[in-house]
Amino acid sequence: MTPPLYIAVRFLGHRKRAFLLSLSGVVFGVAIFICSQAQTQGFAQQFINSTLGSNGSLVLRARFQPLGSGLLVPPKASSAKANATHRRYLEGITNAREIMRVSRQFSNVAACSPVLRGTLSARSGFENATVDLYGIDAALHVQTTNLTNQIIDGAFNDFRDNATSLIVGSKLAELLNVVAGDSMQLLSPGGDYWRFTVAAIARSGVGAVDAGRVYCHAKIAQSLLRKPFAASMIIYKLRDPDRAPALARHFETLFQHDTQSWQEREAGNLQLFVTLRMSAAITVSLIILLAGFGIFNVLTMSVLSKVKEIAILRSMGYRRGDISAIFLWQGAMIAAAGALLGCVAGALLTAAISHIPIRVRGLIVADHFLVAWDWRHYFWATMLAMIAVFIASYVPARRAAQLPPVATLRGSSV
Amino acid sequence: MNHEVCLTCENVERYLGEDESRVHALRGVSLTLKAGSVHSVVGPSGCGKSTLLYILGLLDSPDAGRVTIKSEAVSHLQDDELAQKRSELLGFIFQFHFLLEDFSAQENVMIPMRKLGKLRENEMLERAATLLDAVGLAGKRARPSRHLSGGEQQRVAIARALANDPQVILADEPTGNLDTENSHRAFELLQRIVQEGGKALLLVTHNPQIAELCDWVHEMQDGLIVNTHGLD
Repeated sequence: MTPPLYIAVRFLGHRKRAFLLSLSGVVFGVAIFICSQAQTQGFAQQFINSTLGSNGSLVLRARFQPLGSGLLVPPKASSAKANATHRRYLEGITNAREIMRVSRQFSNVAACSPVLRGTLSARSGFENATVDLYGIDAALHVQTTNLTNQIIDGAFNDFRDNATSLIVGSKLAELLNVVAGDSMQLLSPGGDYWRFTVAAIARSGVGAVDAGRVYCHAKIAQSLLRKPFAASMIIYKLRDPDRAPALARHFETLFQHDTQSWQEREAGNLQLFVTLRMSAAITVSLIILLAGFGIFNVLTMSVLSKVKEIAILRSMGYRRGDISAIFLWQGAMIAAAGALLGCVAGALLTAAISHIPIRVRGLIVADHFLVAWDWRHYFWATMLAMIAVFIASYVPARRAAQLPPVATLRGSSV
Repeated sequence: MNHEVCLTCENVERYLGEDESRVHALRGVSLTLKAGSVHSVVGPSGCGKSTLLYILGLLDSPDAGRVTIKSEAVSHLQDDELAQKRSELLGFIFQFHFLLEDFSAQENVMIPMRKLGKLRENEMLERAATLLDAVGLAGKRARPSRHLSGGEQQRVAIARALANDPQVILADEPTGNLDTENSHRAFELLQRIVQEGGKALLLVTHNPQIAELCDWVHEMQDGLIVNTHGLD
């Protein structure tokens, strides 16, 4: 143990009340920081998992033809973004199987599934609703999404084995007042109603999906929607969803189909979650900042009360750096102990909050507070505490180091 | 006994204060301290005694002149180098003992040793115990310094000044806060340590009885040593 550290430990040990006061501020700040980040990220993570589970990480849609491709002088490379808007889109994917075969060669692609999508009216009893119909290949779709895990009523196998069955979103099912086993009608563009059996009810956790989506078999959907093509989009499940934007750009170039990553698709919602997290982080940082002010006051008072001790230490050969280190060590010990206890308190608080019941039925669906367990919350809370305490300790430490010993000693002489 | 020169200063000048309040505190003071000798500096308040002591103790820098410790000029050294010299070669005793009140007597004595870093923990404990024994505080080593009497605290300060076995001991009114009996006991203790250890002691004092017991008495007036006389 270095002499400054030894003296710092002793100084802190004899100012227990001030030490505990400073420590509690840091513990409180760190714990609240961790807890707030765990909550905001928990809800965001739930949304991301739900949307990836329902809509995939990547969606390949209509084929496009760049307008102006026949020009003698090609457009400037820098205006690529502008060119992206100058496209002619051709509805549907006519070569879905070939695109999927090529896509599977990419290491990041875990699975892919074609979907024929359309909007229809649904009727059950006296209830009507507009539905977002997904015509799917059941076997491929369960590999690409977590549809089987979303079933809350009925059975996926009943859907798979019955060509005229549907899987209905949970909120839509509530609206139409249907449960598994009921019948439901879909209105085709030709004006005739097709009768289906509700095989299962699915809850994805994404409000928009649960409120409007109906799954049926792809071939039935093609007949019902009267489409000349079997797929209007291909949904991808990726091994690393974070790399979806790069793959989307690559697929666009490769297949000449409009391709959208989940980050692009959910940009608005993700931005909302990021804003909430930042807002929470800023608010809680203020608590840590206040703790820093407390430490600043405690250490400043300590310096003022130890002026004579500092002078005598200097006379005994302690350098300015040693004196400074005594007070920086005190701050470091408060920060270290505060961060450690704060992390423990933060984890306990997060665990406790995750058990609080809350009924959320909107952008996401949740029955209790959602939390994310992420080591980065603890790392950043610790870093924040360390930085705040270092800044708070630096000024008193510097002041202590610059105290001229002679002035103190002379002032004490008769 | 080896009477080598421990510390000298030559033509030391020092100004204190700024602008109109500027005072010429030392006006060319020269002094030589040899091993085994006890020097006292006497004079009226404000004559520059403490200023001289702080310059000799490397806590303050002279505006002119030079200070030499064991034949090495030290006036030009950087702050950290001066701190190292203080740690190795000098021991300070002040009128107000300035003990760290949260520390025990033994821990106070160990503080300079920790900085010097030449001894292990058990060796420091042993040396601190020996020094406290020497100043008559064997039974009060573990007692917090704030629970010691004024005389005892000053004896702890003396033990602390001797912790790193310094060549020169500088004392600013070491007996100024003690009664007559304790003053004489403290002085005799210092005198014995200096003579037995071959050290040099310079003490600033207002006490003529103590001053007359020193080997050399330097009388200061208006920043100058006006008279020096030895013990006959």
